[in-house]
Amino acid sequence: MNRTLEKKIEPYIWLLPSLILMAVFVVFPILIVFKLSFSEVSKSGLVGGFIGFKNFADAISLPAFKTVMLNTLYWVVSVVGLSTILGFVIAMVLNQKFRGRKIARAIVVFPWATSLVIQASVWNYIIKYEYGNLNNILLNLGIIKQAVNWRMSYQLEFIWECGVGIFVTIPFVTFCVLSGLQAIDNSLYEAAEIDGASFWNRLWHITIPLVKPSLTVSTVLNIIYVFNSFPIIYTMTKGAPSNKTDTLVTYLYMLNFYDRQKGPATALSVIGFLVLCLCAGIYMLGVMRKEDNG
Amino acid sequence: MKKILALLLTLAMVFALCACGQTAAPAASEAPAEESAEAPAGDEITLDVIICQYGPNTQEWFLGSGMDGTNFVDKFEAANPGVKLNLEVVSWNDVYTVVDTRIASGQAPDILNIDVFANYANEGLLEPVSQYCPEELYNDFFPSFIEQSVIDGTVWAVPDLASARALYYNVDMFEEVGIEPPATWAELEDAAQAIVDFYDGEVYPWGIDMTTDEGQAAFAYYTWGNGGGFVDAEGNWALNSAENVEAIEYAIGLVNKGYTNPNPATQTRYDLQDMFAAGKLAMCIAPNSMPTYCADKGSTVNMATTAIPANEGKTSSSVGVMDRIMAFKDEAAPDQAARDEAIGKFLTFFYDPENYVGWVSMEGFLPAVNSAVEALVAADPSFEAWLDVLSSCQFYPTAKGEWDAVKQGTIAAEQAALTGASVQEQLDALQAQIAG
Repeated sequence: MNRTLEKKIEPYIWLLPSLILMAVFVVFPILIVFKLSFSEVSKSGLVGGFIGFKNFADAISLPAFKTVMLNTLYWVVSVVGLSTILGFVIAMVLNQKFRGRKIARAIVVFPWATSLVIQASVWNYIIKYEYGNLNNILLNLGIIKQAVNWRMSYQLEFIWECGVGIFVTIPFVTFCVLSGLQAIDNSLYEAAEIDGASFWNRLWHITIPLVKPSLTVSTVLNIIYVFNSFPIIYTMTKGAPSNKTDTLVTYLYMLNFYDRQKGPATALSVIGFLVLCLCAGIYMLGVMRKEDNG
Repeated sequence: MKKILALLLTLAMVFALCACGQTAAPAASEAPAEESAEAPAGDEITLDVIICQYGPNTQEWFLGSGMDGTNFVDKFEAANPGVKLNLEVVSWNDVYTVVDTRIASGQAPDILNIDVFANYANEGLLEPVSQYCPEELYNDFFPSFIEQSVIDGTVWAVPDLASARALYYNVDMFEEVGIEPPATWAELEDAAQAIVDFYDGEVYPWGIDMTTDEGQAAFAYYTWGNGGGFVDAEGNWALNSAENVEAIEYAIGLVNKGYTNPNPATQTRYDLQDMFAAGKLAMCIAPNSMPTYCADKGSTVNMATTAIPANEGKTSSSVGVMDRIMAFKDEAAPDQAARDEAIGKFLTFFYDPENYVGWVSMEGFLPAVNSAVEALVAADPSFEAWLDVLSSCQFYPTAKGEWDAVKQGTIAAEQAALTGASVQEQLDALQAQIAG
């Protein structure tokens, strides 16, 4: 066979098994969801005929739609943003040489290695008003005189959920950044130090530009992952009270299986998918343009 | 080129992660051609059965060794040669997901045990009970239970068991504080205030569950206790009646006055029962299985029951909760008559007092057939009182197709009211949405 042709085809042959898997388990179900979103779906899940954009119109006119979209925005921005900043700081610390560094690194992995449902349930117990660990510890230490209701309002509950989201997302960011930090040649810092660069100078001009590729990867993955995250909110509040702590994914689940509004639920999942594609796409394009220029 | 490739990879990534996240959309094929109940060898029929998990013993009883060393499936198959059971026990949390997905993919079960039935019946998925239920068995069901599964004169499901609710109170606490169990709303507030004063806020007087788990029960407790309810005397939706608005405002008032558990939107009935068992809650509306529940938790709380308090001059009514067994159509079955007969055999065997009494008492429920009453009362005399309660209780209007939306709507209205929204506006909006 023609040598160059063989070379051209070879990569595709290697890719073929994963492409087939993706087609069957990822692309095909997504296409079905797209089709469902334009079809009439009965309360029991029977699929009827094509009804155009009716499901989308119904979804957008749901009373909770605006709250849920805003919540999703707060959820993604706060969890991804804060976990990236905190993860970055922790990675900087873990990159220093100190006794017990290996143990510290192992501990950081724990929140990530535990299932989200377990994490959320454990946090539920920690902040429980009646017999929660947090209140017990604070009471025993004499810091508070009376048990505090940590879930007094839905705003507070949502903040707790974001907090748990951040807690479980930090390890991933930390390890992405840590791998980037370890790839930085130490001589760069030495040279900068000789030139009299301060800590902040080194951070801005050496560390951040060089770990940027790792940060990009972790941020894009986190946006997708956090946007689609279901267990924390479902375990902690199920979106209560009246969808005020729901994000898009938990809401569409409730809409589908509790409210049995299957058509609008499918439309919402398509909307979520498109929003994600858009976010990830814009972010990637922006980053790549900068990388090309730089 | 590099750019395009990277973009493609990103898209692939989004695709992949989305697929992990989106469990909601049922992958469906259009024609619901159920393919169970085929006759693979000779005249043998296999029935797909889905049973809900009522407690830790359900699985053992149906599939393990919880039925005197054997189980329901083995015993049934031994007694009914030619009928095989492909029986699955599914948790209540998952059962709607499982059933909807199976219907959507054309694999509806032959026999389903669940609470709701109206949507399945309205969409033509169910077989009428008269097609498969032997007459002798049919006449054994409590008529008031059968009535709950009728749409347009046709019975679509049979009751499998029931439970009724009553007010449980902590006897020792009431003696310590020196109060009597409340019968009216005004007495309830007085009792609650006395408990708050006596225990300095350490004990919650009253439990309220307005969660998505069972917030509709709270709606029933208060509205029925005020002469209102989900429907009017003609059976039409009357969600925003003056009685209902007053009742829900009263319930929200209890929360705002600090007489209840602090987070009714997220604390489920099980949380309340746990608090009651732990001596942290003085009163709690719960099903008749409450003593068993508390004993299993190692609680020694001294409890007694009384009627759920009602508004002054209104009658108290208990809330009955009933689950059902129904049979799905299967047009692909080669011999419809044989299939119906097999389903009938399943029901006859299930409701045979020899099996049914064990099933009902195992998880502490109330029976749905007359033939089981005698044996149950003989085994536990306290059943008698509950059977009286059961005969006077009201049920949710589950035979109406809008019930799912009403159920979620009442919960949403309660939760919105908890955050300060107007009860009147919430119920007006719900009524408008449901009744058009």
